[in-house]
Amino acid sequence: MSLRVDLLEGGRIAVRTLGVNRLRTALTLTAVGIGVATLLAIVGIIQGLNGAFARQLASLGTASLNISRRPFVVTGDWWRYRNRKQITLAQMQAVAEQSRYATAVVPEVNEESKDLTAGDQTVSQVDVVGTLADYQQIWGYEVTAGRFLTDADSDAEQQVAVLGSDVAEQLFPGRSPLGGYVRLDNRPYRVIGVLEKKGQILGQSMDLVLIVPFKTFLAVYGKRDFQVDVGVADPSLLDKAEDDIVGILRRVRSVPPGEPDDFSVNRTEQLADTYKQLTGALYGVAVGVGLITLLVGGIGIMNIMLVSVRERTREIGIRRALGARQRTIVVQFLLEASLVSAVGGAIGTAVGLGMAKLVSLVTSLAAAVQPLTVVGGVLFAALVGLIFGIWPAARAARLDPVEALRYE
Amino acid sequence: MLIKLDDIRRYYKVGTEEVHALNGVSFEVAKGEWLAIIGQSGSGKSTLMNVMGCLDTPTAGRYWLNGKDVSHMSDNELADIRNKEIGFIFQTFQLLPRETALGNVELPLIYRGMRARERRERARSALEQVGLGHRMTHRPNELSGGQRQRVAIARALVTEPSLLLADEPTGNLDSTTGQEIIGLFEELYRAGHTICLVTHEPTLAARCPRAIRLSDGLIVKDGPGPEVALDGRTERARIAAAAT
Repeated sequence: MSLRVDLLEGGRIAVRTLGVNRLRTALTLTAVGIGVATLLAIVGIIQGLNGAFARQLASLGTASLNISRRPFVVTGDWWRYRNRKQITLAQMQAVAEQSRYATAVVPEVNEESKDLTAGDQTVSQVDVVGTLADYQQIWGYEVTAGRFLTDADSDAEQQVAVLGSDVAEQLFPGRSPLGGYVRLDNRPYRVIGVLEKKGQILGQSMDLVLIVPFKTFLAVYGKRDFQVDVGVADPSLLDKAEDDIVGILRRVRSVPPGEPDDFSVNRTEQLADTYKQLTGALYGVAVGVGLITLLVGGIGIMNIMLVSVRERTREIGIRRALGARQRTIVVQFLLEASLVSAVGGAIGTAVGLGMAKLVSLVTSLAAAVQPLTVVGGVLFAALVGLIFGIWPAARAARLDPVEALRYE
Repeated sequence: MLIKLDDIRRYYKVGTEEVHALNGVSFEVAKGEWLAIIGQSGSGKSTLMNVMGCLDTPTAGRYWLNGKDVSHMSDNELADIRNKEIGFIFQTFQLLPRETALGNVELPLIYRGMRARERRERARSALEQVGLGHRMTHRPNELSGGQRQRVAIARALVTEPSLLLADEPTGNLDSTTGQEIIGLFEELYRAGHTICLVTHEPTLAARCPRAIRLSDGLIVKDGPGPEVALDGRTERARIAAAAT
């Protein structure tokens, strides 16, 4: 007899059997369903997180490099970076002049977590940046009111500032900040522009910034180590640009051949890598929990199938007497197990998607489930049923027809 | 010969003891014969029936069914032989409770891979043949004992097997219904079917043209039904049996 007949007949019996023991089927479905739902909700939330992060990262400007003494992400051996020589303006100038890929090169200095006031309004946790005009282009900032800094502002050490949107909203609620003054470390800065909102990355506002001219910053806070931001025409050129810049810097910083670089060329991608490492661990744990739930569901299926095989011993005997081969019986019970699982998986998928949606509505986490994940959920559940159905099905097939017919 | 058994032996291990259920049974059955196998419980008649029905394989000896040596076939081959050559009729009917009469009769044809339309047609005519044309969509629990056994007989007939193998077919029926079923067997016999009927009831065996008596796994008598079945009985019992 052909496998096709086995499958057709097995499928027909499986569908029919599901309807007979409704309560039992429902309970088994629930067990598998919970597993799949948990798994899908977790996957959905994490996929959503990743998507949001990727979009935010893209808004940061992907076609840029950052040169500094230290890498963005320091792991171990941090002390190695401390003794590195500072990057000088002359070196920055060399990069700007010699690199074929750099479209803009600016210095950047930072003061973090500063308090700002304007009248009786205060805002804290502000990142103060000292830089030049091209900073706007490199990081893709749009100005919604007024103008960005110019290099002339820097050369004249003007006490002017461009506000991030959160800063503007909190210091000048309901009115235009242009022409107003903000106070930072007891110095007034005249507001010349306001930036477009950038949103959050990993829960941190990208709009709590105050941008002042580079030389103004140095005059106030003293000469200090700075980073260099480099704009590149296209993200696909980043690798070439990096090689190019490394070559230039090794030359101007006189790094002997064979010695490691005494500077770091960083990318926002590295932030993404760190993020992925962090969420990867979380992902692993969460998926593990989902899998354990599915395992429990699978064992439930195995249990039910063993009961079912026992209950239907006579039926198996009859079928064998009438010419069913062992394979026919195996196929019948495997189909039954995977069908129960698949239906449970489908229900679980619906519930899981609902849960992910709920999470995205209630919290700020954006949950997103890719269509393939849904198909995967159902197929995976069916696979769980198939695997946990193997043993019961094999037991059913190995029954001695004579004994099975006699079974009460 | 349709059936040839040559020195069939079947031994079981029960715990540490070896039970000799069949101790060298040999006989032949021609096509179109109606044979009863009779014996006390424990005589080996059930084991013999299982071997003849290809549900069990002998420990030793050879068994030819319809020209094929089936004594050492694989499980798959035996399944196919059962489907093709044997029509089983059991004491407890052995119908699938969730299937209709029609569904039960169709079952062996499904395993043969027959198309739905043809198998429905054949199942229908088999049910009509046993007088159940009006009960096709009933489930076993909606049928009387006699009707259930008729469904089982239709299921045995539908594959046009070379051997009908009946195990105490009247054992679960009242005497009137039992008589009806035996009447049906007589019809089938006259229509040319080969029938092997396993029973412990001498009166039933007496109605078969030929009977074999088993005792302790050996054939002790093989001859005309009434002679073998009523062997050792009083004249009164013989007359009583003949009257039924």
